[in-house]
Amino acid sequence: MHQPTVVRVRKRRWLNARLITVGVVLAVAWVALGVRLVIVQALQSEDYAAQGLDQRLHREILAADRGTIFDRDGQELAVTIDAVTIYANPREISDPETVALLLAPLLGREAAPVEELLSADASFIYIARQMDREDAEIVQAAQLPGVYFLSEPKRVYPVGSLTAHIIGFVRPDDNVGIEGIEYQYDEALAGAPGELLVEKDPQGRTIPQGEYSVVPAEPGSDLVLTIKVEIQYAARLALEDALERTGARAGSIVVLDPRTGEVLAMVNLPSFDPNNRSDSDADVIRNRAVTDVFEPGSTQKLVTVAAALESGIVGPWTTLEIPDRIEIEDTVFEDFTEHSDLLTVTEIVAQSSNLGTILLGEMLGARQLHAYMTAFGQGQPSGIDFPGEASGVLRPADEWCVTTCVAGTSIGYHVSVTALQQAMVYSVIANDGVWVQPHLVAEIVDGSGTRRAVEPERRVVVSVETAQSMRSMLEAVVASGTGSLAAVEGYSVGGKTGTTQKYLTDAQGYSEDDVVASFIGLAPIDDPRIVVAVVLDAPQGDASGGRGAAPAFAVVTLAALHQLGVPPDAE
Amino acid sequence: MTAWLGHVGAVERPPLRVIAGRQHRAPRLRAWLLITLTVVAAFFLLIYSRVTLDHSAFVLEDVEQQLEAAETRYWELRLEAAELLSPDRITELAQEIGLVYPSEVRTVEVSGIVVPSGNAEDRWVDLKALLGAQP
Repeated sequence: MHQPTVVRVRKRRWLNARLITVGVVLAVAWVALGVRLVIVQALQSEDYAAQGLDQRLHREILAADRGTIFDRDGQELAVTIDAVTIYANPREISDPETVALLLAPLLGREAAPVEELLSADASFIYIARQMDREDAEIVQAAQLPGVYFLSEPKRVYPVGSLTAHIIGFVRPDDNVGIEGIEYQYDEALAGAPGELLVEKDPQGRTIPQGEYSVVPAEPGSDLVLTIKVEIQYAARLALEDALERTGARAGSIVVLDPRTGEVLAMVNLPSFDPNNRSDSDADVIRNRAVTDVFEPGSTQKLVTVAAALESGIVGPWTTLEIPDRIEIEDTVFEDFTEHSDLLTVTEIVAQSSNLGTILLGEMLGARQLHAYMTAFGQGQPSGIDFPGEASGVLRPADEWCVTTCVAGTSIGYHVSVTALQQAMVYSVIANDGVWVQPHLVAEIVDGSGTRRAVEPERRVVVSVETAQSMRSMLEAVVASGTGSLAAVEGYSVGGKTGTTQKYLTDAQGYSEDDVVASFIGLAPIDDPRIVVAVVLDAPQGDASGGRGAAPAFAVVTLAALHQLGVPPDAE
Repeated sequence: MTAWLGHVGAVERPPLRVIAGRQHRAPRLRAWLLITLTVVAAFFLLIYSRVTLDHSAFVLEDVEQQLEAAETRYWELRLEAAELLSPDRITELAQEIGLVYPSEVRTVEVSGIVVPSGNAEDRWVDLKALLGAQP
């Protein structure tokens, strides 16, 4: 009876030991599980939740719509549309040759370069940027492996080369403005990008009631330009005709509203297509009317005569005795038109007398002449809202040579101006002596429709009386002087011709063959609504300012006055 | 009845007491049923509302995609209209149908016609309508 009892005790002890072991193991396991549970659920729960959320969360940058650029009447000059960009992951393409053979015809390209792209050692490579949606849909339908699509905004210029020099263009990669108005007003046009945060399932579908937050993109402001497309077009046709007629290398036309400083048209040739500028070099792209300088020649006589009138040295009908020639050291100044020995100041302008103007310049002296030139805006940027404006060349009066500088400057040498600057000189006369800062943007309209009008700077340069006298003299230039081809049927117009030997910067001297021909004028004389400047670079033959540029002035002036609804004021 | 009572009258009976009738238990059961039904209904309502909400979310996504497509189409049409208004194109078409610039300009003055001033305020009415139509 005693023996079995001992066995049971031993068995129970052994059993107890195993139970205890299992219990301990289980307890340890439970504790470990508990600890892990605490770690996972309490201590690291946020990290794990965040990791899970990260896999589902998709963060998308919402590109801001770039503002539209309009002409003064609401015609779109630059708009942004949705385009499709095709890219590929070459690592997902096992047979680049076959894919290239299928893809290339759809893109209108040769297969070899496409195959080269698809064989690249990369996981992302652009195949075609900013394609039209219709064309991209054809490629999409082919369902090629490793070929993907994404939506990208594309800047388009509906009137193409017509306003190319003004509007400029954007960088295709990121739509950042790099030329013209696109560059100048990039900050206003660009807006601010937004952000969309959304939870998506592995198939890329949005999880309803999942995480969702959106910071909407702030659209860019729209710009309303001062340009009127119809006048711009008339100016381009006139310039094309002038270049063809004279064989000039290049040319510019600027049309201004002298009362407001608004640029109604600004055309340069040769031009380029901003929608496809793959083969356009910098020489074609720059806005010559604002960046290129030339010696103004006889068109500068207006400044000298206006300064003489304003300072009271002479009146419009003061008579001067004109010598046959003026010699200063080695330089001889002569007149190219025949006239009597006695000329009134008005006749000096009408006959474009170099000698008469030099006499007036000498009466003024370097300091006074320089002061008036500065007041008219020469030798400094006009402040137009356009990048890269040249300031022109006007040395301080102290640095003028004592020999030919006053004489030369009086008739438009030793000074360089842009077409815009010289148009502004005539704008002062047209606007009763008040200089109004030129500008290309009339209004900036933000996303909420709030308008911000541009307020140009103004300053008085000469008196109303001087301005009116000068307008009468300019009228005489067209009526009976060197600018007869600038006459416009039905309107009283005035202006001044200019023809100068072209200064060659590289050679540091004047060209023997090339000239710069110009005509700058205004209309109607009594109440000028427009100022038009025509500048031709290197016209051939005898195409002077009067013969080469004046006819283009007449065409543009007539078209502009009609477009602005200005009634005729002359028979 | 009286006789029958008389027959057993020798037995002492406990006094009558009020026993809660069935009418007291039945409302409790109905209440439970009601609560259960309410909970079930609420549950189904919750599920239904979730499903409806999910469905609405998909519908909303579709509508947003349609809106995006419509906006894209709007800008394409604006671009097309701008290209159609291009002076280059109009001149080309005019030349095709034989139109030429007049050889002489005749101006007819009509009394009572107000010449537009061309200033920004006058132009703004048209521009505002145009800008307001943008999506």
